[in-house]
Amino acid sequence: MDKKMSIMIVDDESIVRESLYHWFERSGYRVDTAASGFEALEKLEEYPFDILFVDIKMPGMDGLELLKKVKSEYRDTIVIIITAYGSIESAIKAMKIGASDYLLKPFKPDYLSLVLEKVTQQKKLADEYNYLKGRLEKITRFDNIIGQSPPMKAIFELIPDIAASDASVLLTGETGTGKELIAKAIHAKSPRSHHPFIAINCGAVPDNLLESELFGHRKGAFTDAVFSRKGFLEVVAGGTLFLDEIGEISPKMQIDLLRVLEEKKITKVGSSEPLDVNFRLISATRRNLDEAITQGDFREDFYYRINVIRLHVPPLRKKMEDLALLVNHFLNKYSQETAKRVDRVSRGTLTLLKQYDWPGNVRELENAIERAVVLSRSRTLTPADFGFLSTTVSRKKGTSTLKEMERAYILETLGNCEWNITRAAKVLNINRVTLHKKIDRYGLRAEKQ
Amino acid sequence: MNTPQSIGVVPIGDIPDMAPRVIAAHISACLNLEATVLKPIGTPSYALDKQRLQFDVGPILQNLESKPFKGVDKIIGVLSVDIFLPVFTHVFGEARQGGRVGLVSLFRLKKEPPGPDRLSPDVLQRAAKVALHELCHLYDLAHCENNPCLMHFSGSLEDLDLTPFNLCRYCTRFFKDALALPGRPLL
Repeated sequence: MDKKMSIMIVDDESIVRESLYHWFERSGYRVDTAASGFEALEKLEEYPFDILFVDIKMPGMDGLELLKKVKSEYRDTIVIIITAYGSIESAIKAMKIGASDYLLKPFKPDYLSLVLEKVTQQKKLADEYNYLKGRLEKITRFDNIIGQSPPMKAIFELIPDIAASDASVLLTGETGTGKELIAKAIHAKSPRSHHPFIAINCGAVPDNLLESELFGHRKGAFTDAVFSRKGFLEVVAGGTLFLDEIGEISPKMQIDLLRVLEEKKITKVGSSEPLDVNFRLISATRRNLDEAITQGDFREDFYYRINVIRLHVPPLRKKMEDLALLVNHFLNKYSQETAKRVDRVSRGTLTLLKQYDWPGNVRELENAIERAVVLSRSRTLTPADFGFLSTTVSRKKGTSTLKEMERAYILETLGNCEWNITRAAKVLNINRVTLHKKIDRYGLRAEKQ
Repeated sequence: MNTPQSIGVVPIGDIPDMAPRVIAAHISACLNLEATVLKPIGTPSYALDKQRLQFDVGPILQNLESKPFKGVDKIIGVLSVDIFLPVFTHVFGEARQGGRVGLVSLFRLKKEPPGPDRLSPDVLQRAAKVALHELCHLYDLAHCENNPCLMHFSGSLEDLDLTPFNLCRYCTRFFKDALALPGRPLL
């Protein structure tokens, strides 16, 4: 028997609760008691008991009513009905509602032991099934991309077709929408899946360094080039190169990359010998590249090279029907990672989360759930656990803190510069990398995409 | 606990002399604890359930826990009456985890028909096993998953006959820890 199983005895008779409490305690179970159905539900909110022994006849909420509620809200919880008023009818009714077994008081101690052994086996099988189902889902679904909303379904349908081709892909969408996950999914489903997937955030790497990172360099090519180094375009060797924030690369780099895409050859920094390269390019941007072309910030020929297939990833606020699914996914993830059994969110919490507009999208949601799970003292997340979100919302109305003023100023500058990062960085007198970090930290986004 | 533990075996009601003596001998032999047979006390009529015609272990334990029993650390009460916990049809014995008093009933340790008369070697052996099992509960040992262990739960006489007198290596360790006497030879 699994000693880690937790049991709650729900009976209005204290003598029954005590008898069973001591019996289970002697068997090494974690055990608790409740004198009513209401108390049991309260305790279930706090702790995920594995097995409930429920008396059928109780004042207020009877055992069958409790059984119904438990089965509708906590499907995995095993319920065993105990009664001194047993009849075949109530037994059938309880089993139909979802009770795992039925005990008539008084019963032989070894019968209780057998019942426990049986339900432990059931639970073990259910746990194995859930684990394998999760593994299977992980294999079949598009690596951690969660969604049932029409726009996400459309993306899921397109991924296998896109993966089968070798055309360049441009992913557009706000920060935190999961563009890199989609790029990874395309790679994972493609014939290149056995080769590397390399992701580079072009906006976070200074231009001169980006050149060396992509193309590599020979020893002595520049002051710090003490050794020869392979670039990512060489290292990717048959795989997929994901260039995030491609809208931020310099015109010179655009020309270099265009040449690579056309000729499938690179020349290392400090070398004159061309080298054959083989990779698939997936790019991503949150900028409106059509506008950037009009403004002369982005090369049209390069744009057409990288934009053979275009996929737009919608922001979270446009697919709120996925929110509950995402919340559950992150809840499972972080309750496992933190070994805290926080596995529920209250309805009020979901409503609150739906009211928030998630400027940082799924990434912001994930961070919020992680924070809430880490700090929560109960198994159910409540609106109080997301107090920091309301702070964020309320701050939008006034600029009271230094951080908020900085956020507002950066946002205004970005707006004035039409989200041209280079220009905005110049105006703010900070480098582009710092600006990107601040944009990410404050979850800033352009009004129009 | 650094002083040697002393166990008192208390006959409750009309008990054949042999039973408490055999139990005390097994406690000394198997668990290496001092065991003494104490003066008998009367049948716990206050615990009789008139509908079930059985004795409720709850009040008996409560009553014995309140008695001083000088000179002993733990008590094993031996009865010949049929005992029960309210949800169960019967129990062979009962003890609270980490408590002071455990009980063993001879009533159902005999195969057909159940009753207090005549104690065969089989019944005495079973009584000793139940007493040792309950005593280990008093030292906070829980039921053990290992079949060949004194702390494995036995719900029937068949199971009880298959249960050994000794603890498995894990329970032995737990028991030693409970006694906090690592040098003391056990079993």
